[in-house]
Amino acid sequence: MRRAIVATILQREWYETVRNRLLMSTILLPPILLTVAPIILAGAVGERALPPELERQILSQKPEWASFTPGELAGAFAVQQFLVFFLLMPAYIPLSIATFSIIGEKQSRSLEPVLAAPIRTSELLAGKAIAALVPGLLAGWATYAIFVLLASVVYGPALFGVVTDLSWLAGVFLLGPAVGLSSVVAGVIVSARVNDPRVAQQVGGVVIVPVIALVLVQATGTLLVGPLGYLLLSVGVLAISLVGLRVGVRLFDREAILTRWR
Amino acid sequence: MTSTRSDRPPDGPPDLALEASGLGRRFGDRWAVRGVDLAVRRGEVLGLLGPNGAGKTTTVRLLTALIEPSEGTASIDGFDVRDEADDVRARVGILTETPGLYDKLPAIANLDFFGRLYGLDAAQRAERIERYLRLFGLWDRRDDVAGTFSKGMKQKLAIARALLHDPSVVFLDEPTAALDPEAAFIVREAIETLRRAGRTIVLATHNLDEADRLCDRIAFVRGGLVRVDSPAALRGVLGLRELMVRLSGVASEAQIEAVRTVDGVSATQVTDGVLRIGTDDPESIAPAVVRALVVSGADVVELRPERASLERIYFEVMGVTPSTDGIEDVV
Repeated sequence: MRRAIVATILQREWYETVRNRLLMSTILLPPILLTVAPIILAGAVGERALPPELERQILSQKPEWASFTPGELAGAFAVQQFLVFFLLMPAYIPLSIATFSIIGEKQSRSLEPVLAAPIRTSELLAGKAIAALVPGLLAGWATYAIFVLLASVVYGPALFGVVTDLSWLAGVFLLGPAVGLSSVVAGVIVSARVNDPRVAQQVGGVVIVPVIALVLVQATGTLLVGPLGYLLLSVGVLAISLVGLRVGVRLFDREAILTRWR
Repeated sequence: MTSTRSDRPPDGPPDLALEASGLGRRFGDRWAVRGVDLAVRRGEVLGLLGPNGAGKTTTVRLLTALIEPSEGTASIDGFDVRDEADDVRARVGILTETPGLYDKLPAIANLDFFGRLYGLDAAQRAERIERYLRLFGLWDRRDDVAGTFSKGMKQKLAIARALLHDPSVVFLDEPTAALDPEAAFIVREAIETLRRAGRTIVLATHNLDEADRLCDRIAFVRGGLVRVDSPAALRGVLGLRELMVRLSGVASEAQIEAVRTVDGVSATQVTDGVLRIGTDDPESIAPAVVRALVVSGADVVELRPERASLERIYFEVMGVTPSTDGIEDVV
């Protein structure tokens, strides 16, 4: 695979992405909301204590939080819910970019001249995949960094410790990229079959369902996923993504694009 | 420079830019094209002429290594389309059925992107982009996004894109389809410019006039190559010349029958009140035709030898007799 070719495709993808106002608004708005919302929520919870039953349930799974005051424990529990939201960014941003990019090229019929050039379809797919994946990961990581900074400034060392523990780091830096890759794969597979980016996003949005399920499970306090849990989830999602990638590569074959993509 | 073009000497004959032998492609159970035998000399303009669905685009895609043949072989500059596809792609330029430009990118950025894909360095890209944008009259619009261009301008920009890497063979697939007359004229002028510059061009079209004007040879395509020859040779070999006779009135059956008895007359047809007589040599038979008509009581107003239109050649080669039955009833 020639890096110069991949970089050329990547550069053009980003050039077009930043000029697509609709796409940019869907990429930029949620990270801003997701940075501010947890801080406001933790503040709103304030010094209010959790119901004793829930408190017991949480401490049984997070014994390291036993030293927290009731207010810190409530804030830590509230903030904990938002970890999964940082997984949503690597999920939906690559999906949006990949579907807009591939379906946009289908609609403008611009892939055929590209495929007529002496490039390999793996280089084309790599360029498109990286162009879709990187903004999602960077948005997730940048938002997380800002969130950690705000949490430590506003709520002190207790919450800072919560949002930088191994669970969070594994979630943001291991599961995030795995979810991002699964999202790109879903975008490629779905975009090969449909001709409307919005439909593709709705269908491809299936990858977000497990993330939402994780939110719900955590919100009830019945299961707070730890570092090992995130590691296992990352491996599982990565394995599924790699299987999907094989399907995606087949769909992205030169002949398949020219003769079957409609 | 990161070149994507192999420098090894081509294996094929140096005067041939393109060769194909028994080339065919099947989709499922259906053959799109089959048995394509072709040799295109350098500097030649070859037309692929045929109706929609005849296999022109499939042939172009096979010859440009975009899809693999199901049988047979083809090569560009001696490089095999199946085994040396990257080398073939580096040596061909293609204008696809639709321009396929990036509408949000300026004209110059569209070309620069493809220049990079073809491995041209920055200096080469700058020089060639300026050269081709000037050649096609787009230099002043170089910073405008392609989406603001007219259809004709988009086609010209797409042709510039196809030429950027200095290809051995340029493939133009339906370059004037869906264009208005003005845009089509502009694009034909652009192709004429390339032809004068000695480019090897394969022009897929169903526009008979375009093929007649621009091509050195025409390959009639219908699921394969039905016939390949120059327009002049096709007219000669097929004996497709005519003697046009205008009478003072409508030609009667007896008068037409009298003409048919003249030696050298191969066919007769009355269209728009004009008697058209098929023959190899209209000049030689003209006196005998006039005598036969006068004897049978006709008044000859005008008589003129004509070369058959490419439309007639097309129907002859394709073995098609277009039916106009029922049209008058509808009108």
